[in-house]
Amino acid sequence: MKKLSYLVAGILVMLMLAACSSDSSANSEEDSGSSGENATSDTVETGAVETSVEATGDEDVMLDFWIHQTGEDETNAYIELIDAFNKEHDDIHVNAEVIIDDGASAYSDSINAALVAGNLPDVMAVDGPYVSSFAEAGVIQPIDDYVDEETKSQYVDSIIQQGTYNDKLYSLGAMEASVMLYYNKDLLDEAGIEPADSIEEAWTWDELMENSKKLTNEDRYGLNLFMNYGVGEWLTFMGAPLAWSNGGALISEDGTKVDGYLNSPETIEALNYVKELFAEGVVTDSPGEMQFEEGNAALALGGPWIAVSAEDAGLNWGMMPYPFKDEKVSPSGSMAYAVTNNTENPEAAVELMKWMTNEEATVKISKATGMPPAQKSAFDNMEKFNELPWSVMKEQVLETAHARPATPAYPVLTDAFAQSFHAAALGEDVESVVEQQVQRVERELKRFEE
Amino acid sequence: MKGNSSSAKQLPDHVHYKDPSEPPIKKVPPKRKKRRRSQAFQEAMTGYFFLAPALILLGVFLLYPMGAAFYYSFTDFYILKPDDISFIGFENFTYIWQDAQFRQAFWNTVYFSVIVVPVQLAVALGLALLINKKLKFRVFFRTAFFSPVVMSLVVVSILWTFMYNPNEGLINQLLGLIGISPQPFLTSPDQAMNSIIVMSVWQGAGFQMMIFLAGLQNIPNHLYEAADIDGASNWQKFLHVTLPGLKNIALFIFITISIAAFKLLVQPMIMTQGGPLGSTKSLVYHIYETGFNYRDVGYASAMAVVFTLIVLTITIIQRVLIREERG
Repeated sequence: MKKLSYLVAGILVMLMLAACSSDSSANSEEDSGSSGENATSDTVETGAVETSVEATGDEDVMLDFWIHQTGEDETNAYIELIDAFNKEHDDIHVNAEVIIDDGASAYSDSINAALVAGNLPDVMAVDGPYVSSFAEAGVIQPIDDYVDEETKSQYVDSIIQQGTYNDKLYSLGAMEASVMLYYNKDLLDEAGIEPADSIEEAWTWDELMENSKKLTNEDRYGLNLFMNYGVGEWLTFMGAPLAWSNGGALISEDGTKVDGYLNSPETIEALNYVKELFAEGVVTDSPGEMQFEEGNAALALGGPWIAVSAEDAGLNWGMMPYPFKDEKVSPSGSMAYAVTNNTENPEAAVELMKWMTNEEATVKISKATGMPPAQKSAFDNMEKFNELPWSVMKEQVLETAHARPATPAYPVLTDAFAQSFHAAALGEDVESVVEQQVQRVERELKRFEE
Repeated sequence: MKGNSSSAKQLPDHVHYKDPSEPPIKKVPPKRKKRRRSQAFQEAMTGYFFLAPALILLGVFLLYPMGAAFYYSFTDFYILKPDDISFIGFENFTYIWQDAQFRQAFWNTVYFSVIVVPVQLAVALGLALLINKKLKFRVFFRTAFFSPVVMSLVVVSILWTFMYNPNEGLINQLLGLIGISPQPFLTSPDQAMNSIIVMSVWQGAGFQMMIFLAGLQNIPNHLYEAADIDGASNWQKFLHVTLPGLKNIALFIFITISIAAFKLLVQPMIMTQGGPLGSTKSLVYHIYETGFNYRDVGYASAMAVVFTLIVLTITIIQRVLIREERG
């Protein structure tokens, strides 16, 4: 018995060590996989990193600044920008804290905890569509007093749209995001299909359906919708433009009513189009992590990070604009910065936000992440956006980008849409699923009625 | 320390102390009654002193949160508005009965538990019996069966998600070799929960196996010898010697697996996010999502209170049954 327990203890220790090492490697893989924003970095540092620069002169204002971490290159770019800010400003000192964003709830859990404990930082990174709920709850404050119209006009419209709630500006972002229709050049050539090189030529829903069918055979799928990201924000981000393009909506313009919007005939029709794509067998609900990159899908509706991973995989790829039905719209929105109500120095805080999102910063962060910049002028400074295939992404961000709805009930609304999208993919009856979700969101919306 | 000075006076002269600060040994005890009281008090204090870390931890991390959850369950606590909490009576509790997701999560959890508990118990016992034999490579098997237990459940879940993938997963490729078409293990509402059950049993059984093994080794050998003399077959020995000898251990394992099964969270969270179509959403996962993703702490607390009552009821029923069996 004693011998046995020694043995068990020994095995335990050994396996724990083994488990720890496999733990960290698997986790970092998962990090870069699920966030998807930095497919190039193999190792993702975990844990909080503190950056601080030696005090220079009078430190009148101390600012605490929370930034999210999805990839190493991106974080390094932020830290360099913050260091430069501290050097430039004698009277402001920024303490940055880097918090892991695993694509799920790790970052928002940190915010929630700090919120309840009452120790939010002065400035924090928030995901675009969540701005309105923070604004409604008075967690973040409007910054119109410190941002003039000229400064505002330098940002791409969708970033201002995403940061505005009840006609007040709350957030500024450094990067945009988009979803492109990526294609495998070799497979399209083989099938004799012409790609669209500009928004003018964008494919219609019918063309997407038809070409996906042509490109599907025994060995591969015609289209990849990255269902492996799970039932979450991705489905709303990628899928909502289908509804908008068809004249549908997720919620009323003022963000207070879903009945008649989420279940409008136009939105239902868009979800039925999704259902048809799956029913035709041109797309799978469980693609492998690298289905498009490995040539197992000819087309893919993916984020900017797919360009990076396709390039790394040595794929002969290109990108097309987001397909449309009536109106040409495309996904938009990314992490942005907002000033919390916890700050005593909103002016200095906004100064920091402007610094983190100025032309130089957006170029730097775009280079580190592959995401499109949020400043209009940055596009002109970056060579790659003036030629194919990146020119298509630039066009899309400047012309068709559509922010996700601004409503305090966003967390429930996005889940409701994602669940409906997923149900459609599984071939369920769209109308009845959507109807259930409408009731759920309506209940949540009551909370915010006056 | 009062007694020291008085007792020092009564010390014989030839006793010398090298360190004057050190108290002298008490040769003459103080009055009996007084001593007993102070000693009892001191012993009690020592006891509390040793208890303190556990009490403080229990208080801060168990009793306080439980009390807070109970209080919040009667409020509309929304996580973004911690300063604006108002009392809403039983509204959260009445909504539980209308909440289709809660109902689905409840039945999912019951289904998971009803399958996992007996299967895991049987698998653990089977493995323990195998390993208890004097086989070659016994240590290897013991390690192999136990190793999933020490691996992080998160890691195991991620690995099995890869293995279950219909297009590129290991299991489907193996099935393909024997001519079975790819199965949508995690993406079909009919199969997802069963796939999670298989993984959970594989992950968890090794731990109970170890406990069973310890139980097996505690069964005195002379009982088997006596059975041999009586000419009992292996099956009879198992039925009449092994099983009765393991009864108490099996009951203990039964209760611990049941409670653990009801707390199902990590597997659906990592592998399916509760889908497809909510078919793997467990009660705890539903509570977590409501509280943290949808920020509705009030309603989440109400569900947590109900959940606690459910688990408590099950535990009490099990205890009563066990007591009857013992008697």
